[in-house]
Amino acid sequence: MIKFDNVCFAYDKNNILNNISLSVKKGEFVAIVGRNGAGKTTLMKLLNGLLKPTSGVVTIANLNTSVTRTSELARHVGFLFQNPDRQICRNTVKAEIEFGLKCILTDNADIEKRCRNTIEKFGLLPDKDPFSMSRGERQKVALASVLALSPEILVLDEPTTGLDYKECMHIMETINELNDNGTTVIMVCHDMELVADFAGRIIVVGEGRILDDDVCRSVMSRPEVLKEASLAPPQIVELAIKLGKGFEDVFTLDEMTGIISQRAKREGCIM
Amino acid sequence: MKGILEYSQGETVIHRLNPLSKMVIAFLLCLSSFANNNIYCTIGIIVVNLLMAYLAGIIDRAFSLLITLFKIGIVLFLLQVFFIRTGNTLLNLPFNLYITDTGLKFSIMLVLRLVGATMPLVIILTVTRMSDLTNVMVQKLHIPYKYTFAFITALRFIPIFENEMTGIIEAQTARGVEFDTKNPVKKLKLLLPLCVPLLISSVKRIEGSAISAELRGFNLRRKDSGYKTYRFIGLDYIAMLFSIMILLTCIIIL
Amino acid sequence: MIEFKDFSFKYKTGEKPALTIKNLSIPKGDFVGIIGNSGAGKSTFTYAVNGVIPHHYEGDFYGEVRVNGCDTVESSPTQLALSVGSVFQDIDGQMVSSVVEDEILFGLENFGVPKEEIDQRIKDILKMVGIEDLRYRNINTLSGGQKQKVAISAVVAMMPDILVLDEPTAELDPQSSLQIYNMLKMLNKTLNITIIVVEQKIMLLSEFSKRIIILDSGEIYLEGAPKEVLSDTSRLTDIGVNCPRVAALANNLNQLKIYNGPVPVNVMEAETMVRSVLG
Repeated sequence: MIKFDNVCFAYDKNNILNNISLSVKKGEFVAIVGRNGAGKTTLMKLLNGLLKPTSGVVTIANLNTSVTRTSELARHVGFLFQNPDRQICRNTVKAEIEFGLKCILTDNADIEKRCRNTIEKFGLLPDKDPFSMSRGERQKVALASVLALSPEILVLDEPTTGLDYKECMHIMETINELNDNGTTVIMVCHDMELVADFAGRIIVVGEGRILDDDVCRSVMSRPEVLKEASLAPPQIVELAIKLGKGFEDVFTLDEMTGIISQRAKREGCIM
Repeated sequence: MKGILEYSQGETVIHRLNPLSKMVIAFLLCLSSFANNNIYCTIGIIVVNLLMAYLAGIIDRAFSLLITLFKIGIVLFLLQVFFIRTGNTLLNLPFNLYITDTGLKFSIMLVLRLVGATMPLVIILTVTRMSDLTNVMVQKLHIPYKYTFAFITALRFIPIFENEMTGIIEAQTARGVEFDTKNPVKKLKLLLPLCVPLLISSVKRIEGSAISAELRGFNLRRKDSGYKTYRFIGLDYIAMLFSIMILLTCIIIL
Repeated sequence: MIEFKDFSFKYKTGEKPALTIKNLSIPKGDFVGIIGNSGAGKSTFTYAVNGVIPHHYEGDFYGEVRVNGCDTVESSPTQLALSVGSVFQDIDGQMVSSVVEDEILFGLENFGVPKEEIDQRIKDILKMVGIEDLRYRNINTLSGGQKQKVAISAVVAMMPDILVLDEPTAELDPQSSLQIYNMLKMLNKTLNITIIVVEQKIMLLSEFSKRIIILDSGEIYLEGAPKEVLSDTSRLTDIGVNCPRVAALANNLNQLKIYNGPVPVNVMEAETMVRSVLG
């Protein structure tokens, strides 16, 4: 679905990404993590041709991004930015969703149908002015207008910045559901708790290189890798590492609760 | 070209000049390139400009500016050179086009003047902190701080808005708006609706900025609030004298 | 010292009050974290303290808010600014200059700090925050975290008693966010500045603040020391506020009746908790 083959990217003679090779299969949920300035955003922009590799090849849905226009790639790749205000440019929810559809599709009946379905699915008010909504609601409108096109790949650049926990969970659950239905999801995110809860695989980026690329559990259990990328593991994982022996495989809150209660019972120290 | 007006930090002779004398020098050099009608003299002024940039340690940026200006110059040159039809024909071209010696000289002068007059301002602005410039305007020229603050804020917001616009265009391209089209008219048409999000985010930004300035005592500011004082030193007089001499030379050579 | 008494504020465009606080006092030297969902009244809380309401945003203001004894309605925002420093979420928007030194000078000059003191003040604050090397840097060339440090320094240089911050780490990565909080902690400790910070990252609040106020639909929902507020995490999840996983773990263990001690606010305390449970 997505393939980076020895990709380098330089801007003004500064190498931002060096020899990145990776591939993502259909239906994966990949989180890209790393500190600000590590090259995450560059990596994302290479995914939909906003940036073209200086050398190497990026292939998305069998299209070479270097020779395909971004507007063409947009049929396959939906992109949700950190700031919904950069995306929303119409003064009703319905017009906004239609605008996105019209960029790609030509069949008016189809546009009308998709627009209606999306509004219904997201429970939006079609005539509301997006600019009078809260940031979380605007992000939801932005997401809806991206998803109206039912893209095969969904790219998210810190989708939950500036949202409260409730809004954040709402967005993440929508994305998770899509992923369950086969959409490939790539997400840049700072919140390691969120990453641990939702992503199946983590790519750690630092200094323009891939520092680690593995399933979520394995990456999280390597504190030295996270440290190199200036990241802290989720609290439960950090606790498990500190507790050491017997807690090696603990990853979630439930697992932690389970193992502690088990051992407490065994040692008979129930109060 | 990006960031050409951005302040370049330094402790060079040029940096140490009084902001006011820097502006005077830039103005005099600017005037000099118009005050003469001699190709060599104008080239001389460009050389002085480059020398100034060298002293200020920004010769790289000066060259990149020079190249950009010459690029614009070539377009102007081509437009002019075929327009002037008086004088002796030097070169005959098809379509009833020809180049005359008067035309050639005029066009070359035009380009050189453009370069000679633009460079000093840009170079000086690159080595002057905006705040110094406005402070000195408030202190020495008695311009109200309100106006200089508005000016400085407008300048400061340019790159921020530019950044915002790039972000908006990227976001729209990503959803399939054909900004990557080669047709400039079509591109402009696509660009217009985007002014709405830019305007809205700008208004929010500016409001926040106003609150922030107010909460830091903007309204209390008086003419003599500025911490830094700007005295003229020997160097200033020498530099200004030098620029006046250049201007006089230009007028004499005319 | 900040006191709210029968306070309520409704924006001109709003239908109901954005924030209502019957009674609240924040003593000098406190470190208060404010959290809640969007529309809960978090920003309004900060505006009530720094006088942006009712002076900048108009609306119906009831009751009173006193900062160091001064009524915020009767004092101008500029007067209030002498005791309350404000830092905002929009990092670039709140700057007034293009060079770090000038940014710090701005407030000092405006408030008429004697000129012979100014240089020392700039040096002191930059040293305290650990950004001496940034003094002459162009603000555009700094990272987000550095910029926010400059913004905070510029405000702290005016020596306020109270520092109000509205989501100062919203645009920062975890490492920079942590640095900002360490800086706030240091300012709170060494200068005894009262810190009031609106923040979505509950983990930072539980670790750094002395008191957490949870707002919901314009009212105080829960208030107290982190350990108190987090002692029943279901109350937080009920209104959709996140809670640190270690606190949730303590709650789980509590329900299983294998732990009933204080709630840990960070991983270190959680480790102690687990070791105590397992003997």
